[in-house]
Amino acid sequence: MVDHARRSSLSDDKATAEGPGSIRELDDSVHDSLREMHGYMRLAREWDLRFEKMFRTGALSKWYSSVGNEATTVAAACAIEAGDSLLTLHRDSGAILRHYLDIHEILPGLVPETSSGRKSVGGDSRQRFLRLACQMLGRKHGFSAGHERSYHYNLIEEQHGLIHIGMISHLGSMIPVAAGTAFAFQQQGNHQVALNFIGEGATSTGDFHEALNIASVWKLPFILVIENNRWAFSTPASQQYACQQLADRGQGYGIPGVQVDGNDPEAVFAVMSSAVDRARSGEGPTLIEAMLGRHRGHSEADDSLDLVPADEQDGYSSQDPLDLVEKKLVDRSTLSVSDLAEIRNRCASLVMVLVDEAMSMPQPDPESPRRIHAD
Amino acid sequence: MPTESSIDQSEILYIDAISDALRDEMRADPAVVLMGQDIADHGGAFKITRGFLDEFGDQRIRNTPIAESGTIGIATGAAMLGAKPVIEMQFADFISCGFNQLVNVAAKMFWRTEHPVPMVIRLPGGGGMGAGAFHSQNIEAWFLHTPGLKVVTPSFSGDAYRLLRAAIRDPNPVLYFEHKFLYRRERSAIDKNTTPDRIEAESNVLRSGTDITVISWGWMTHRTLEAASTLAEEGIEIEVIDLPVLCPLDITTILESVERTSRVAIIHEATSTGGFGAEIAAQICQDAIWTLDAPVLRITYPDSPPPFHKDLEATRIPSAERICSELRQLKRQ
Repeated sequence: MVDHARRSSLSDDKATAEGPGSIRELDDSVHDSLREMHGYMRLAREWDLRFEKMFRTGALSKWYSSVGNEATTVAAACAIEAGDSLLTLHRDSGAILRHYLDIHEILPGLVPETSSGRKSVGGDSRQRFLRLACQMLGRKHGFSAGHERSYHYNLIEEQHGLIHIGMISHLGSMIPVAAGTAFAFQQQGNHQVALNFIGEGATSTGDFHEALNIASVWKLPFILVIENNRWAFSTPASQQYACQQLADRGQGYGIPGVQVDGNDPEAVFAVMSSAVDRARSGEGPTLIEAMLGRHRGHSEADDSLDLVPADEQDGYSSQDPLDLVEKKLVDRSTLSVSDLAEIRNRCASLVMVLVDEAMSMPQPDPESPRRIHAD
Repeated sequence: MPTESSIDQSEILYIDAISDALRDEMRADPAVVLMGQDIADHGGAFKITRGFLDEFGDQRIRNTPIAESGTIGIATGAAMLGAKPVIEMQFADFISCGFNQLVNVAAKMFWRTEHPVPMVIRLPGGGGMGAGAFHSQNIEAWFLHTPGLKVVTPSFSGDAYRLLRAAIRDPNPVLYFEHKFLYRRERSAIDKNTTPDRIEAESNVLRSGTDITVISWGWMTHRTLEAASTLAEEGIEIEVIDLPVLCPLDITTILESVERTSRVAIIHEATSTGGFGAEIAAQICQDAIWTLDAPVLRITYPDSPPPFHKDLEATRIPSAERICSELRQLKRQ
């Protein structure tokens, strides 16, 4: 993997300033949709590469990487809309950026204006992006004002239809909570849906079973996406579950269970769209198993990736979702190699600028009060 | 003998006070939704929600599968987005199956994110009916050690009604411990016109006395009152403080009383080690030890699960006789 985050921000700023129309536009909506997904995937990739680097230089105490999960997370988030709830893990920067940001606002002209089929959340994208960087760095202006780490926060902006609830460290524990947001939607009689990501390891928890079972019995508008990268910390899938595929468990709950190539954003989007339609029409939950590669260790601070056999790692690298989508875009003549380089540079530059800005933001006041109870 | 016409119609059974509070709050607030095992057609194991399904419908009266963790988690997510879930644990003991959702997800949510989780879990608990180790426990201390929850332990019908409505209106997760032994034995006046919006620290000084301060809650408050009557005949005046709310704790009233009486006992039905009596004792020792004429006394269940046979169980639960005996000794110290 080449780390493009090192590039100078000078030339990249120039690219940013070029604005709309700088990249060849096609009127093919399928191509546009893939271009949009690719834009967010690239932005998420550069985001993670930047923080991985900061971890290596000691600027961060810990980092869990989303590298390799972008096709699944971005495509899944493309299938939901403002008003829906999103519940994520630490490998879901793609879904978070897709859901939080209007790419036309923060990177004008990067993707065609016609590409977005979904209702975006409102509000100031750049400000939200900056606060996200502050959150990662524990700064005062982060969403938890330094009290919670990385993706362990919520961002709920009701006026913008943004409902994002972060994780706790106990994997699997947010599945019932996600189903609970779906329950609230059902009670309120609207047609909003809940989207929740988990890893394959969390499918072994009791909460996986309890939440899916209740969600099915109550026909909650709930979509659970398993990001199956086949390794939970150091535990391979063979020691995690003995069924053929986790998607088969859907049958046990009386709901659709679908396995999909998690490196193919168009395939994920298609599966997600059906699941969202089903949820919005009151038919209940769907279980999606996205097959992914293991591109990083559990965290960047451990050696768990060493346990993944070299040939297996090579196989995952050869199926890097960013490489695959970029090859597809070139093969379809949607984008040229130089277009891709420009997109990459602009994404890396924006991330660099925002993270640098966040680094200069104030630390939390050690004496700042934090209430235990709501008033 | 009171004539029939003089009986105060506002005196109701403790169990009916709980049922009325639920019904009245559901009528007042369409966001309130009940979840629990067998609460719909069956009306719950204790029939507290009998008739609710007909009045409120199956969207608001939700039978759950046997899944305490899933239910608490779903309630948490729903509460964050405008619903006001009230969960009935069939027995308080079963909440252990939902422990992580409660103590790590619901209890910490506001501190972590500043997003309130307005939910209530009703917990029918306590012994006295020979129900064995898994239908009789007093487990409030597990949760008093968890910042972010509120804990309510009403002893009387009036508090049961008022505090359940307040718990539902409170924007925090509230554990509402209702004592099964009191369901059909406690009957007293309730005031339906005073319904606060929050659970606050509060205590009831049920009896003034100069010799010993006694602090208790739930069923034990009734036994304390019985003991206090007996001791009054012997010239020992007990100041009885009932705690319908354990968290937040009204320590002020306790300390003021202890400073006057110089002797204090804490009585609870829960087991001794790490019980909430230990915390109250510690706070008294920390803030008022120089006013004491005798060591702080705890009268509690022994460190044992509840046995099945009623006679075995009866030896464990503090009786009025045992309370009298131990308080006489405390007075002599």
